[in-house]
Formats: sequence, structure tokens, C-alpha cells
Amino acid sequence: MADAFASRARVVGLAALACVSSLAAQKGGAPRLNQPPYLRDAFPSTYRPLPRSDTLIAHATILDGAGHRIDDGDILLSEGKVEAVGRGLAAPAGAVRIDARGRWVTPGLIDIHSHDGTYVEPLTTEDENSSDISELSDPNAAGTWIETAVNPQDPGFTRALAGGVTALQVLPGSSPIFGGRSVVLKPIPAPTVQQMKFPGAPQGLKMACGENPKSEDVEKLRGPTSRQGEIAFIRKAFADAHRYKADWDSYLAGTDDKRPRDDPTLDTLAAVLDGRIAVHMHCYRADEMGIMLDLSHELGFRIAAFHHAVEGYKIAPLLVQEGVCAAVWSDWWGFKLEALDGIRENAAFIDAAGGCVMMHSDSPQLGQFLSIEAGKAAAAGRRAGLTLAPEHVIAWVTSNPAKALGLDRRIGSLEVGKDADLVVWSTDPFSVYTHADLVFIDGAVAFDRSDRSRRPTADFELGREPRASE
Amino acid sequence: MTRAAVLLALLLAASPAAAQVVAIIHAKAYPIAPKGVVDDATLVFADGRIVSLTAHGAPPAGAEIIDAAGRVVTPGLMNGATQLGLGEVSGASDTQDQAVRTGPLGAAFDIHYALNANSVLLPVARADGLTRAMSYPAGAATAPFSGAGALILLSPGPDILERPRAAVFAEVGDNTLAKAGGSRAAQWVLLRNALLEARRYAETPRGQGPRDQLLSRPDAEALGPVVSGATPLAITAERESDIREAIALAQNLHVRVVIVGGSEAWTLAPSLAAAHIPVVLDPEANLPQTFDKLGARLDNAALLAKAGVAIAFSVSGNGIYLSYNAGLALREGAGLAVANGLPYLDALAAITQGPADIWGVGDHYGRLAPGFDADIVIWDGDPLEPASAPVAVFVRGARASLTTRQTRLRDRYAPAHAGDDLPPAYR
Repeated sequence: MADAFASRARVVGLAALACVSSLAAQKGGAPRLNQPPYLRDAFPSTYRPLPRSDTLIAHATILDGAGHRIDDGDILLSEGKVEAVGRGLAAPAGAVRIDARGRWVTPGLIDIHSHDGTYVEPLTTEDENSSDISELSDPNAAGTWIETAVNPQDPGFTRALAGGVTALQVLPGSSPIFGGRSVVLKPIPAPTVQQMKFPGAPQGLKMACGENPKSEDVEKLRGPTSRQGEIAFIRKAFADAHRYKADWDSYLAGTDDKRPRDDPTLDTLAAVLDGRIAVHMHCYRADEMGIMLDLSHELGFRIAAFHHAVEGYKIAPLLVQEGVCAAVWSDWWGFKLEALDGIRENAAFIDAAGGCVMMHSDSPQLGQFLSIEAGKAAAAGRRAGLTLAPEHVIAWVTSNPAKALGLDRRIGSLEVGKDADLVVWSTDPFSVYTHADLVFIDGAVAFDRSDRSRRPTADFELGREPRASE
Repeated sequence: MTRAAVLLALLLAASPAAAQVVAIIHAKAYPIAPKGVVDDATLVFADGRIVSLTAHGAPPAGAEIIDAAGRVVTPGLMNGATQLGLGEVSGASDTQDQAVRTGPLGAAFDIHYALNANSVLLPVARADGLTRAMSYPAGAATAPFSGAGALILLSPGPDILERPRAAVFAEVGDNTLAKAGGSRAAQWVLLRNALLEARRYAETPRGQGPRDQLLSRPDAEALGPVVSGATPLAITAERESDIREAIALAQNLHVRVVIVGGSEAWTLAPSLAAAHIPVVLDPEANLPQTFDKLGARLDNAALLAKAGVAIAFSVSGNGIYLSYNAGLALREGAGLAVANGLPYLDALAAITQGPADIWGVGDHYGRLAPGFDADIVIWDGDPLEPASAPVAVFVRGARASLTTRQTRLRDRYAPAHAGDDLPPAYR
């Protein structure tokens, strides 16, 4: 179902682009924009894969992320892509050979909800009133791009990598109703964020419902103070965005010569209406998600995923029908009123209904242990009588988040031709005793637990290594 | 049947709670002390106490038999520092009793008066195998004290208090600098001064206290058992310099110090061991979350234990695991410690006998040994794997229900109900 939604958005997006270029040609290069401002990528990726060799990983238990388990399996990586997966593969001349007997191989984990780089380590009093997690001057911070705040030297990135994460979506926080644009990164620290940016990954728009935005607004006296106020606020913002987009569309179609004012806030919402940006919606309660789904149809935006979705299990069939994924925790509950009904079977129940469920971190602490999160959530489901094989559950941290990010053609499973993002685990990846021994990103070793020279550290941690004083 | 047996049977019938003998057979039992595992163990308990633990033992005649079928059996677990019983919804301050921000109270803030046996957090923790905890105050108004913690028992009944004022808590470091005026140096001066004043107060005939005393009378009285050595002083501290100060304070002022937190405690492991200062640490803490925790690492527990420091666990988990998942997170944390070098049996001890000894109940809880409280858990797998869960939990011999508000929600919304005509509210 999520796929169906994604392809509809792609068609809409392509149609809009096609229209734009033909008109630009008609005008013969007139000094006018041939693409609406809301579609530009202001900070293009300059990521380059690390040095790599073709590699054969042999004799592993492989969970491929596409639903299969291969015992005593081999996987061949070539030119940064998955070249072959199976048994008894031969290593081509010059390929590095890794004996993974007794170890497990999965696709690289994808954290669809991270605040790394903005909810930084360490957090200090400087962050208390002016953190980069969210822009708080306006409940509509849609014009902000979180990539313009991400500190690549946050140790959170290297810790996520050490936990097997190969791609993560950094989202703004949930204090504003419209939090701003997200960015998908590879957790390999570099001096600029562009060097970490996943090339070609779509941005998302973070939106939030419920307690967080309204509480923030009460404190700051700056916006809606109730759930109903939040919904009215969203309606008004999208009404403005529809007008804005129509103005740009008529300008680009040549029916109106007056160039519209360029508004970064409305740009983001217009890109959402255009289908290029999907919404990542922070909601806890089932009723809130129900309202948001109707609202998305009325206003014309697409929700890729509900984040936290603590009550997702109460509306699992609705989520399936709407093709909306749910990013959940295994066991967080109770810490606020809208989280009181969290249950450990949440992921398993959504999955059982046929839904696209994902484990997310929301925290640098949890972002290191996503596979254990999936293991806990699956165990609760099994105790509730569901059959949840490891080769199925691994999708919760690999192919499902890839789908929700619109990156499922490139990452999330170990299928031939996909990016060679994968983890060699010391043991069952769902066990508390597991370690990511090796993490490959685009076929290159980005992390090696046994080799200090292949374990990145953030600049912040340099020169601060504590030592035993005795 | 002898007359005595008939009498016993009648007595049992008259008061079913009394004297029922239960035998768990075919258990893979971890007695904790002595260290090791007893295969095919028979664990007998009655009247809330353990009677015997024997390999291949025959259960006593007339005992209720529970066949563990080879499953792991351990003592009920103990959380070294949690706020169970003190709060319902952290987002709603009117449901929270673990801290005071204003008013005169420091060391005299005594959380046991607020314990709520009907908190829905308690059954969740118990269904994860937790039967004991140190429930400690999050903060008091007079720096650097947080108040007195209480030992609780997660029994199904209304009385969960095992021992009030089991320790007095103080906190130093970045988290509470403001309360002391902005510097940890002030925190230490205030803490040292408070202990000196409390000692002077205890030694002075009533009514003749010195006039320049900073401590209020209730705070000075609350610190009496600390300066006499009867009650430990728990100091929450993360940074090496603060832990070093805590060691010095213990030695200079002759108080029993327990470090809580201790992110950088591993750097001082031999000193802590030599000073017999235990550490209640978070085995999941490995991030430089603040400048006080730059040295946090996952092998903290392993390094401390190797040096001979007594350890127990408490898991913050973004502040959420501390109380909401006080049982599950404790096991997961212990598992992570094992994954990072702590021997398995030491990890089990750090969630049973370890905290029991540190907080002063190790004489009757924390082991599967004759005479000890029958806090017992039968597990469906390895208890240190968070994917495992208890199949039975006994608290002082009473079998606890594993039903929680969460399992009720689970049953109400189970996928099997998808086709029901009536809405979930009718289930």
C-alpha cells in the first residue's frame, strides 16, 4: 500500500516537471525561472563512498531484508553494489574474502527518526533555550531545513554507525506544528553535512500533532494551544500553500507574468502538495491519526509515516488501508498522557494486519540498538501468538524504513543491484549480546570493530579520551 | 493420615495463605550465592521463605508442585535506583511526587510518604521479574540533597514499603549546579558542611544548637543516621573529579557512601574498591550526554566488577526506562554489560544480591538460599535477553498475577478481534 502511494506521488511529480520544461523551451530561454523555487535542492549532496574493494562475505546466516533467510550463505559486493547472494559463491580474483561462519548478515539498519546532529552529544545549557532540534519562533517552521543545523561532528553519528545504522533520517523536533524539512544522511562524519547527504534521497516534512506543539505554544504564547487549534492551523497553512503553488504554476505556465514572492515556508508546503515531499507525522493517539488521515486527503498531502504511533495497534487496519507506515518504539510508554496506552505488541499487531512497521530511535541512545528494539518487539508479538520469523522482522529496521523514505529501490534489502549497505553481526542481531562487527556502506568498510583505523570518531571526542587514573 | 497431618490440612484450609509448601522442580536455578547454576534443581518454599534448594531433590510430600521443565529460575530482581511508586505520568506534574523544588526540605524530604501501591507502573515492572527496588527522590529544595529513598517490595497487596529512609540521596554535578548557586564547588562545600553540622547537632543536647547553622532542624535530624554510619549516603555523581571527591568525603567524614550514576567510575575502580564504595550504575550509559559523562562507556560495569567494586544497576533510558520499564530495562542493561565484558553470573548478581547488599537487605533477599525471602522468578528464556519474560513471579512466596494494564490493552486489541461486531470498548 505504501508503494501505491509512493508511485502516485512520483507520477504527479514527474508530470509537474514535464510541464515546466516544455514551457521553458517555448519561451526560448527568457530570464524567468523554469522550475518553481519549491523544487530546488539548495544544498546538494557531495557524498563520495569510502575506498572499497570487491568483497565476498562467506558462510553467514543472511537475512536479506526481502523476507528470505539463507543459512551458510554468501554475499558478493562489487563496485559498491550487491553483485550476488546465495550459497557457494566464488570470490573473483582480487576480492577480499571474509569468513563469516557463525555470524549473521543483514542489510544496513535504517533509522527513520533520528535527531543526531541537532540533539547533540553533549547537550549543554546552551541548548536549553536555543537548541537546533526545532525552530521555535513560529509554530510553522516549514521553511527550515534541518540539514542547515546538523553538526556532523556529533558523536551520535559514529555511535549509530557502530550499532549497524547505514542511513538515518534526521527530523526536526515536534514542538512546532510544521517542524521543517528532514534530511537523509549516511552516518560517516565529514566536515560538511553535504558530504554526508544520501544522494538523491527525498526530503520529508516533519509535522506534529497532540501534546508537544500545543504545550510549547502555551509556554511561548505563540500559537495554537489545543488539538483543535492545531488542526485549524494546518488547514490555514495549506490553504495559503495552495494559493502560493497556483501562483507559481500560472507564472511558470506563462499565464501570469508577475513573478510571485519567494516564500521559504510556503515553498516547503508547496513541495508537499506537489508530491515531492512526504509528511512524517508525529502522533501518538489513534484518534489523532484518524483525524490526520482525513485531513491529508482534504488538503492533498501524503503522510509517509506516523512517528511514535504509540496507539497504532488500535487502528492497524486503517493504517494498512491508507498505506501509511508506522515508526514505533518497542516499549516506551507512560511518560505523557498521550503515551499511556503504549503496548509492547504495537509493532507486531500492525505487522499482523499487513502494515508497514518500523522501529525508530528518536534518541541517540536507542539509535545504537535498533536491532535489539526489533527483537524485543517481535518477542512480545510471539508471546501474543503471532509467528514472526527473524527474516520477516528484520524488515522493520531495513526494507520498511527504506520504503517510507522512498529509497526502497536502492537500499533496505540485499538484492542484486542494490547499494551494498550491510552489517556483519557477531551473532543473532536481535540478541542483546550482539555486536556489529563490520558495517559496509556502498561496499566500503565504514566500521570495523576489530580495527581502530576503521572506526571513525567525531572531532569532539579527540583529546578527551578519559583514561583510568590508576 | 496422622492426626497432625489432618490438623495441618485443616489449618491450611482455614487460612490458605499460611504454610502452603511449594516446590519448583526441574529448574535451572541460579542461587546467586554461591555463584553458579544448579541444574535440575528443586526449590522449596513456604510461608514466604525459601526452605531448600537442592539438585535432583525430591519435593516434600503434600507440596504444590510447579514443573519448571528446565527453565531458568532466579531470585526476583531488584532495581538499584528507580522512582517506582512515586509517579504516574511524567508529563503531568500533578501525578508526580519524586521531587520538591521549593520549600524548606533537603535531606528531610522523605518520599516514602508518597508511595502509591496502586501505580500501574508496578505490575508492569513485576511482570518483568522485578520484586524489589530502591525508590529514590529526584530532587529536593535544599542543595545538594535530594531526600531519603525507600526500599520497596513489589508485592501485589497495598503495602509496598519495605524500609523507609534506607538511604539519603545527594546529587552533585552539572544537572543541579543552579540549585547550589552555579558551581559544583559549592555543592561539595554545602554537602560537607551539612554532614559536619548534622554531627554537631547529634552531639549537642537538645535546645542548645549553634545559632549559625545552615541546616534546618529536620534536615539535621534526617542526616543523623548518615553521620552515625547507620544509613548510607548515596551521592549521584558522574564525573571523575566528583567521584574522587566522594571517595575523599567518605574517608574524611566517615560516612558510608554509595555512588549513583558513576559514568566515569571505571577510571577510579581501584580506589573505589579500596574504599569499599559501591556503584549503582547505568549499564546502558555510553554516550557523552553531558560534559560530566564524557567518559561513559559500556564496559564500566565490567571494569568495576573486575576491580572488586560492588555494583548494582539502574537504567535511565532517556528517563523513561527508569520507572516505566524498571524491570525490562534492568535485564536488558545487564545483558548489555555481559556483551561488554561483565561475567554472566556477576550481571545476575548486579540485579539481585548486589543491590540488596548495597542497600542493606542482603541478609534476607537476593539469593535462592534457605531462610531468604521467596522472591522467585521462572523465566521463559535467558533473563538477560530482553526478549525473554517471566512465566511466574513470586513475591515473598505469593504468586503475582502477570496481568497489567498493558496486557489488558493487548487482549482487547489483539488481531484475532479484527472481525468483531462490537467495538473494542465492549471487550
